[in-house]
Amino acid sequence: MKKVFALFVTVVLLSSVFALEAFADNHGSDEAMVRIAHASPDAPAVDVYVNGDAVVEGAAFKDATDYMNLPAGEHEVEIDAADADGEGDPVISSMLTVEAGQAYTVAAVGMLENLDLEVAMDSMEVSDGMTKVRVGHLSPDAPTVDVGLIGGDALFSGASFPAITDYQELDAGTYDLEIRTEDGTQVLDLSGTTLEENTVYSVFAVNTAENLEAWVLTDYTAMPDEMPQTGMGGAQSGMDTMLLAGLGAMLAGVLLAGFAFNRRRSHQS
Amino acid sequence: MLGIASLLLIIGGVVLILSSMDKERAESTSSGNSEVATSSGIQLKKEFSPSSDEKAESTSPTPGSPEHIRIPSIGVDAPIIATGLDENNEMVVPDNGEEVAWFEPGREPGEEGNAVLAGHVDDYSGPAVFFDLEKLQPGDEITITDERDMAWTFIVDKVEAYPLGEAPIRDIFGPEQGRKMNLLTCTGLYDASAGTHEERLAVYTTMKQE
Repeated sequence: MKKVFALFVTVVLLSSVFALEAFADNHGSDEAMVRIAHASPDAPAVDVYVNGDAVVEGAAFKDATDYMNLPAGEHEVEIDAADADGEGDPVISSMLTVEAGQAYTVAAVGMLENLDLEVAMDSMEVSDGMTKVRVGHLSPDAPTVDVGLIGGDALFSGASFPAITDYQELDAGTYDLEIRTEDGTQVLDLSGTTLEENTVYSVFAVNTAENLEAWVLTDYTAMPDEMPQTGMGGAQSGMDTMLLAGLGAMLAGVLLAGFAFNRRRSHQS
Repeated sequence: MLGIASLLLIIGGVVLILSSMDKERAESTSSGNSEVATSSGIQLKKEFSPSSDEKAESTSPTPGSPEHIRIPSIGVDAPIIATGLDENNEMVVPDNGEEVAWFEPGREPGEEGNAVLAGHVDDYSGPAVFFDLEKLQPGDEITITDERDMAWTFIVDKVEAYPLGEAPIRDIFGPEQGRKMNLLTCTGLYDASAGTHEERLAVYTTMKQE
């Protein structure tokens, strides 16, 4: 019985140690989030390496990763043609410094012969019920442009390759937008662009000027700080009762058996 | 006579202990998985998804607010209520064990991104709507009915348990390419002093391709 009790104490101690560890290890506090976007119209499918490890394989034009966790600090990012298998010189290699708790978009931009990495810090907050958007001019040969309401004001002015603008917070809803040159000539019709509430977007103008297209990425949606409290313990205490009842019954059985055995022995003697 | 009675008691005791252990074992296995998922320092290697215009987004109908959830494999058939964040920036959950909460500031199930539903594993008196959620297997189907009576079917990708405070909130709630729905509940031992379970369970699903 002493042994059983000792075992229980050990188990309880162990589980409280684990619980403490769980609280101490505040996961994600020292990490940044990074996503990589392939915005080079004529570059082949590529592999992406971070600190020498392949993190993405076979990414084509207009592919983006979801956000990945990276420790805060400096990292080497390499982009390589997908068929090169890590051999030979990378297409591009660059150092990337990231801060804990921040999110980043790393876009491979420009034509293959002068490929570059454009890094932008992504917003992870938006006022309740609002929407937030920014634009990126990632079309290597397109002129300087404005993005604005068709027949109305510009929301973003004077963006030229490879600029990614600051964010603008807007009422959520559907907007008739256009990309136009500074003299007002429309280069891309974006009517019916829906921007949902509690969401942050990046709208990248990509491809060559002749084939200009809009590429929409979602940077953030509303989320809680913690996982929800989804239990009140009712089934748990039921479980404990079952365990105790089981142990009790077993103990009673053993005692009873011992009693019976003793009685039989005393009968025999 | 006493011998038989004691034998019966011992057997009964063992059965009770085993059945309570069984539940624990299931929990420790699933939390074992999460170790693998969380201990690798750099969590990378995510696959590229095709960009949204390749998925014929404009031609598919838009989902409305979800109203009902059915999970045939574990016998769930429950109403859904819309909730949001409280003043502590926590997701509000139902005050009962029968309803499932949908995180309304996020995505509707069937939209691109992560839709999130949460339900209790137990209430004050016993098992609640998501008590058997940990028994779901990859490939199991979940059907959501929305406010316009349209049905949206999701397939379970994986089931993961995380120690309290270590769940990847952004992976579960954040932006994502693809039409995803994640179901949340509690698991692990109930810590009465903290007033919560020691672990959280996440079931990751993807919309079924018709």
